Amino acid sequence: MSNIDRRTLVKGSLATMMAGAAFSRTAFAQSSEPILLGVSGPLTGPNAQYGTQWKQGFDLALDEIHAAGGINGRKLAYNFEDSQSDPRQSVAIAQKFVSDSRIVMELGDFSSPASMAASPIYQRGGLVQFGFTNSHPDFTKGGDFMWSTSVSQADEQPLLAQYAVKRLGLKKLAVLHLNTDWGRTSRDYFVKAAKEYGAEVAITEGYIAEERDFRSTLVRVRDASPDGLILISYYSDGALIARQARQVGLKQTICAASSVYSPKFLELGGEAVEDVHLGTRYFPEDPRPEVKKFIAGFKAKYSGQEPDAFNAYAYDAMNMAAAVVRIGGTDRRAIRDAFTKVRDVSSVIFGAATFDVETRRVKGAMNAELVVRKGQFALWDGKPT
Amino acid sequence: MSSWLDYTINGLIVGNVYALVAVGLALIFGVSRLINFAQGSIYLVGAYIGWVAVVQLHTPLPLTIIVVAVAAALVGLIIERFGLRPLQNSARIAPLLATIGISFVLDQIVMLTFSPNPRALPSQLPDVRFQVGNGTIGPLDLLIAGVGITSALLLFVFLRYSKLGWAVRATAQDRDAAMQMGVDVNRVNQAVFGIAAALGGVSGMLVGMYYNQIDTAMSLQATLKGVVAEVVGGAGNVPGAVVGSLLLGLVESYGVAVFGTSYRNLFAFLLLVLVLVLRPNGLFASARQAPPEPLTGTFIAPSRPVRIPRWALAVAVGGFAILPLFPVSFYVLQTLINAWLLGMLALSLTLVAGTIGQVSLGHAALLAIGAYTSALLSLSLSVPVGLAVIAGGLMSAALGTTLISPSFRLRGHYVSIATLAIGEIVSLVILNWEGVTRGPIGISGIPPLSLFGYDLISASSVYWFSLAVMIVLALLQGRLLTSHLGRSFRAIRDDDIAARAYGLSLNRYKSLAFIFGGFAAGVSGAIAAHLYSYINHETFNTQQSILALTVVILGGLGNVVGAVVGSVALVGLPEVFRIAAEYRILIYGIVLLLLVRFRPQGLLGTI
Repeated sequence: MSNIDRRTLVKGSLATMMAGAAFSRTAFAQSSEPILLGVSGPLTGPNAQYGTQWKQGFDLALDEIHAAGGINGRKLAYNFEDSQSDPRQSVAIAQKFVSDSRIVMELGDFSSPASMAASPIYQRGGLVQFGFTNSHPDFTKGGDFMWSTSVSQADEQPLLAQYAVKRLGLKKLAVLHLNTDWGRTSRDYFVKAAKEYGAEVAITEGYIAEERDFRSTLVRVRDASPDGLILISYYSDGALIARQARQVGLKQTICAASSVYSPKFLELGGEAVEDVHLGTRYFPEDPRPEVKKFIAGFKAKYSGQEPDAFNAYAYDAMNMAAAVVRIGGTDRRAIRDAFTKVRDVSSVIFGAATFDVETRRVKGAMNAELVVRKGQFALWDGKPT
Repeated sequence: MSSWLDYTINGLIVGNVYALVAVGLALIFGVSRLINFAQGSIYLVGAYIGWVAVVQLHTPLPLTIIVVAVAAALVGLIIERFGLRPLQNSARIAPLLATIGISFVLDQIVMLTFSPNPRALPSQLPDVRFQVGNGTIGPLDLLIAGVGITSALLLFVFLRYSKLGWAVRATAQDRDAAMQMGVDVNRVNQAVFGIAAALGGVSGMLVGMYYNQIDTAMSLQATLKGVVAEVVGGAGNVPGAVVGSLLLGLVESYGVAVFGTSYRNLFAFLLLVLVLVLRPNGLFASARQAPPEPLTGTFIAPSRPVRIPRWALAVAVGGFAILPLFPVSFYVLQTLINAWLLGMLALSLTLVAGTIGQVSLGHAALLAIGAYTSALLSLSLSVPVGLAVIAGGLMSAALGTTLISPSFRLRGHYVSIATLAIGEIVSLVILNWEGVTRGPIGISGIPPLSLFGYDLISASSVYWFSLAVMIVLALLQGRLLTSHLGRSFRAIRDDDIAARAYGLSLNRYKSLAFIFGGFAAGVSGAIAAHLYSYINHETFNTQQSILALTVVILGGLGNVVGAVVGSVALVGLPEVFRIAAEYRILIYGIVLLLLVRFRPQGLLGTI
């Protein structure tokens, strides 16, 4: 709510409610108001931390965009509506955004159920739904107004499999995965790729997001006697599993999906995550200038706090949105078409990002092979642990 | 074979963790006959106070424990004094709802203060591990076990041998008699809440250290597992709560051993249902326990229902029916569509909870059954959507009633716990039965609503459709309530013994109520599925069940118009407060508390 003052908001929503879309379109067309994006995401509820991280990334990107003169002289702003990542609420928010003519594009939602429930409304309403954390394979199949910079698991998991099997030489794997659409899809891509690289997947175990106790699961894993554990987890559950794996005496190499990449993973995992291997889409020590700029800006703005992957996704998404609006202007349909025209946008996750018009996703995510050494993420030097 | 030793040890360790919550719940249930849904929130508060003490004040462990215990006890005392004591003479459901409201408020305050990011809570014990079997246990495991068992023993001694303990037990047995014998009932309540909260707070801190991780979402899970453990052991029985917790831990651990990780919680809730069916008072309920109080007036606040004149209802219906003809935004229509869908669910719940007196906390399961049935029929078998929605309603009616029927012989709070468990079981079956439900991937591409070959896509046509369905269901239910059958339902609610003496077959009437209610809820879920186009096992969750319960209590139990008014209010309220973003749930919780406090019979009163 920090980017728009309350009066503007009340005035805006009153106008839409009272007079409908037609009236407000004329009222706002020539104004010097900022160009407004809608954000549907969790600010409360179980996924609230991700909404907070989004805001940090968005605000940083907006600072930079405005410092560089905004969008052809106009400012860019967003209206963040709290959906709690709940489909009932994201659907209502979708109607709100679609009928609010000031909104030129929507970003979010966080989870697949919330995002995909809202997709038909955005599609019919002709408003781009730009999902940047939606790796569900069906998300961009919702229609030609669904676009995503989320790295498709079809791209990411083979890279992890390559790291584990080809580079680390693990031959017999145990896969622990979050039992959600994301975890399940990722697992399937990973297992397929790992087998193609010649490894055996001895056991796969799915756990639900609220789970805190993995000791019994890890006994099952131990009995399958793998030589490596693969974690398809978020940082908080990933850290829990690593800790408990060490506590129950499992000493195997651990490889984790990029989603654990967060300073929190180190903080929560402590000594147990030492020597954990992971691929990541971005890495602060990456010498690329766009990454350096992002890290420096983030630390300056948020009193030294280290950014993590979700900060980066949000930052990239806002920059991508700005690039698209620069081409498409404020017409919703033109913005949709601008996604097919935008080329080589500087981004943390993809380097120079361009959309694949067929899949409506971006291809070619950066991949750094990391390992945790002395409580820090470090580029892997190629030596086995 | 040696793995079984490991599974056993692991089960006992996690059982210890559950015991810490269950003991506090048991203590409060023993005295107040109240399932304290805020216990998980106190656990959360304790964890964060512990974090402040350890990370910012660098207190040594004994001091940390004292700080957390005192601070949490203080929170408990405040809850008792300002949240629950004013509700002493109101309907039994009022304090239960109040604890739900309090948990919203506490969780949100913690979240606003500390941000929702998980934090590390370092253990203050040396990190040595002892080899047991093939695994290891550490000092913290032992400390948790020590705290759980010691507190249970101390409480047992306190209740049995101290004067205040006698007063507590006397109050638990018969509040009025205790009062007449000169027991200061309020002081007893205070003492109990203080002790339970101190325990809850310390347990949150210890569990946080155990996992080296605390976050603001940990309270609901703690409450759920604690409630299961407590009821398995025998509600209100402190040593029983410990045994129940260990048993729960073992069942989960063996469940993982045999069937795999994704079945873990399924076994926890199946255990609960099994215990409730075989031994409705828990495994360790004493034979001499006072019989469960008769349901007469248990959930019904003394009030006269507000009669709304027919013409006013007709005007309201007419007004809502022509709303889309005016230039209102789609957002308003969509919000109202959500209200109509919730209204159908509330009709269902107000019938079973209000009219026949079976409070259900698992009503979202009926939505899920209807949604999956309709989605799968229309997608896989190309059944026309209109028919699929009806089939969804029928399936919910049939399957829901079958699942719930073992709990028909339960009384009072146990019905709510059983339905809570059945709700969780349905969700977990959907997650695991991949061949049919597509498991965690969910079902996408569900066709939009259509009627006689015409797609209902625009917001106004969906609006009219759902409004019409809700009105038809409401009219049917209104008719039902004034019929002979409706009077039989209410007779069972008001005094089931008298009703049985009159020759009413309780199970048959309860089944009828669930069949009717299941249909309404199933239709609601089915329409939602076609509206969202994507559903998975999390779409219809426990929060939805609790929201529905809040709606019917707000509207007035058994009150058809009240269910609809409550739905509009509780769907609208969060939307109105949307502008307050992070403070929304906090405000919602406070509003809930105020309603329970000042209008416990609901806005329109009970019918």
